[in-house]
Amino acid sequence: MIDLMSKRKWFFVLPIIIILAGIIGLIINGLNYDIQFQGGTIIQIEMNDSNFDVNKIGVILTEMLNKKVSSQKIQAYNPQNEDEKINILMLKVPGSDTLSDAEVNSIIDMLSKDYNAKRIYQMQNVQPFIADEIKQKGIKAILVASVLIILYIWWRFSTISGLPAALTALIALIHDAFIMLSAYTIFQIPLNESFIAAVLTILGYSLNNTIIIYDRIRENSNKMRKVPVDELVNKSIIQTLRRTINTSVTTIIAIFIVYIFAALNNIQSVKEFAFPLIIGLIAGTYSSLFIAPTLWMMWKQKESKERIVAKQVKAKAR
Amino acid sequence: MKQNNWLGFLFVIVMICLLIYLAFDGGNAIGIPGIKDTRLGIDIKGGIYTTLYPDIPEGQKPSEADLNSARRIIETRLESKGIFDKNVTVEKENGRIIVEIPFAPGEEDFNPQKTVDEIGKTALLTFQEVDEEKVDENGRYLPTGKIIIEGKDVKNAGVGTNPDTGEVVVTLELNKEGAEKFAEATERLLQKKIAIFMDDVLIVAPTVNNVITDGNAIITGQRTAKEAGELADTIRAGALPFRMVAKEINLISPILGEGALKVTIRAGIVALILVALFMIVYYRLAGLIADIALTGLIVITLLILSAMGITLTLPGIAGIILSIGMGVDANVVIFERIKEEIRNGKTVGAAVDDGFRRAFTAILDSNVTTVLTAAILYWLGSGPIRGFAITLGMGVALSFLTGVTATRIMLKSITGAKFTRSPKTFGI
Repeated sequence: MIDLMSKRKWFFVLPIIIILAGIIGLIINGLNYDIQFQGGTIIQIEMNDSNFDVNKIGVILTEMLNKKVSSQKIQAYNPQNEDEKINILMLKVPGSDTLSDAEVNSIIDMLSKDYNAKRIYQMQNVQPFIADEIKQKGIKAILVASVLIILYIWWRFSTISGLPAALTALIALIHDAFIMLSAYTIFQIPLNESFIAAVLTILGYSLNNTIIIYDRIRENSNKMRKVPVDELVNKSIIQTLRRTINTSVTTIIAIFIVYIFAALNNIQSVKEFAFPLIIGLIAGTYSSLFIAPTLWMMWKQKESKERIVAKQVKAKAR
Repeated sequence: MKQNNWLGFLFVIVMICLLIYLAFDGGNAIGIPGIKDTRLGIDIKGGIYTTLYPDIPEGQKPSEADLNSARRIIETRLESKGIFDKNVTVEKENGRIIVEIPFAPGEEDFNPQKTVDEIGKTALLTFQEVDEEKVDENGRYLPTGKIIIEGKDVKNAGVGTNPDTGEVVVTLELNKEGAEKFAEATERLLQKKIAIFMDDVLIVAPTVNNVITDGNAIITGQRTAKEAGELADTIRAGALPFRMVAKEINLISPILGEGALKVTIRAGIVALILVALFMIVYYRLAGLIADIALTGLIVITLLILSAMGITLTLPGIAGIILSIGMGVDANVVIFERIKEEIRNGKTVGAAVDDGFRRAFTAILDSNVTTVLTAAILYWLGSGPIRGFAITLGMGVALSFLTGVTATRIMLKSITGAKFTRSPKTFGI
């Protein structure tokens, strides 16, 4: 049997590198908040053809509204006729400069008059205070979920030191969340409500894996009372390894297909949701295999060492 | 067990086939809506999602009654524009109203902002004299412009009972100025009708039975308490001092939604096929059984969504696809366990029993935590995120029924057969 636990120091190298890269990315680029999280306006307008000067429109609108309007040309496919492309003009006004109703109306009037624009393809107009509310709710969701999860594990695994099990599982979850956040900063994916959903899904999924392994440790610790704790953990991981890998494979297949389809067809919202899920699935599998059980084992080893020392101290005192 | 037979296996297959039949329109005849009748979210159907706040000084909060009244105006306005498939919800803790208006097929309103502006206007409530000749094609009175009182004259409206007859009525309380004007009008129009309009839409046209001098009137003729409550809300809405302003607008064109739906459905089918193949390659006959159970899981999820009228959103579909991957997890855990037991020298039959028993706590613990997170997502999330939470939570919860129970019935029933006694059944 492979002795995983002897190489335990190496388990932490890769996550630390990724998280550091994330922090560096954070310092250089900052977080890319979607307008859902910072307020602002995005309007996508379907144009009749691709012959429009996107830069000129940006300049005209910036002047007209006296607000910074960034403009971009994108294409999507037409579901009614898949050989045909739809030409879209995307306008973005971020942050506290959320457009008023009148300003949105004037943009639409101008574009339909001077540029023969067809219709609105998508529009999002969010005031900053709503953005704050959504953000706060998201953070609250993650915190509440974490607390409930800790309590549940603490209770269910009380036979194998429930509190350490719960705390090490939590550390694994924090690891997953940080890796996902790193992916967002490195690849500059806009943070929005989907991010909260993706993180919570991964927390649930990663915990699934961790629990399966802890469940096996719980079972084995009843059977093998004399076995040292590192061997016990090692055995439990290897016994459940096939299951962990197979579940990860089926889940990653499912979400990877979604990502590919969304990327090929330029369905931004789905793509931006699927990508961090893939990263999270990998991170979650890794942390369940290598981080949570390893930390739990190190905790137990330290505990038993302290117990021995305490015994010796007691013996000496007599 | 000698008499072990195919009964259990066949039973599950028949059940799943029945569910598939129901899901694909077979249930329509007996009133079970199928997949085609699933309510689709704005992000798929296309439409407007907007959050309206009352335009009142900062720090003030609208009362729940005010918000309900505002909701009634918005509904009345949308209905007067022929928009019936709408969704207007009051969030009283945030003091706001969420309006979802799907696009009607073929509708291409270029400027939805105008629609939102219009529904946020302060409602104009008027009590007008009626010209019996002036009716529209439905026989409803048209506004005459002969205004008796306006919304600002109305102090309050509520629901009460007529002490004489016990029937439900709408009570109307006017302020001093309103009471004077109303007294004059009721005297003049005794036994005639007074029509109440919201903007230009006729709400109700009761007959004047008495001269009302004290400003306290009742409107009779409401069939139910609910109807009376709605009428009271509407009248109160006319007395609202504020208009509603959209602080968040989301608009999605039908084309965008349709494209996204097609893509995600295709992705889901491909994902299902690949996961199914993986299971068969890896676990052989047992894998096939897991696939049958998985099909059941997805069909049940879709049926529940359509039958309960839950709105399906794009993240919701993503949740279903994710639960394809996660849904086989219970089976993976069980089959790996069974394989282990077989390797330890147990017979297939005994290994199946032990495998299910031993894997159960692990599956329970791991699924409870996922259901917990789904519940939190539903509780704290809005619109589309809720859709995701529902499908994810449902997928995991249902996997107990399919991944554990249905697979167990099927496996137990066929392990009696000779050809399944070989460990090859599980891909060993």
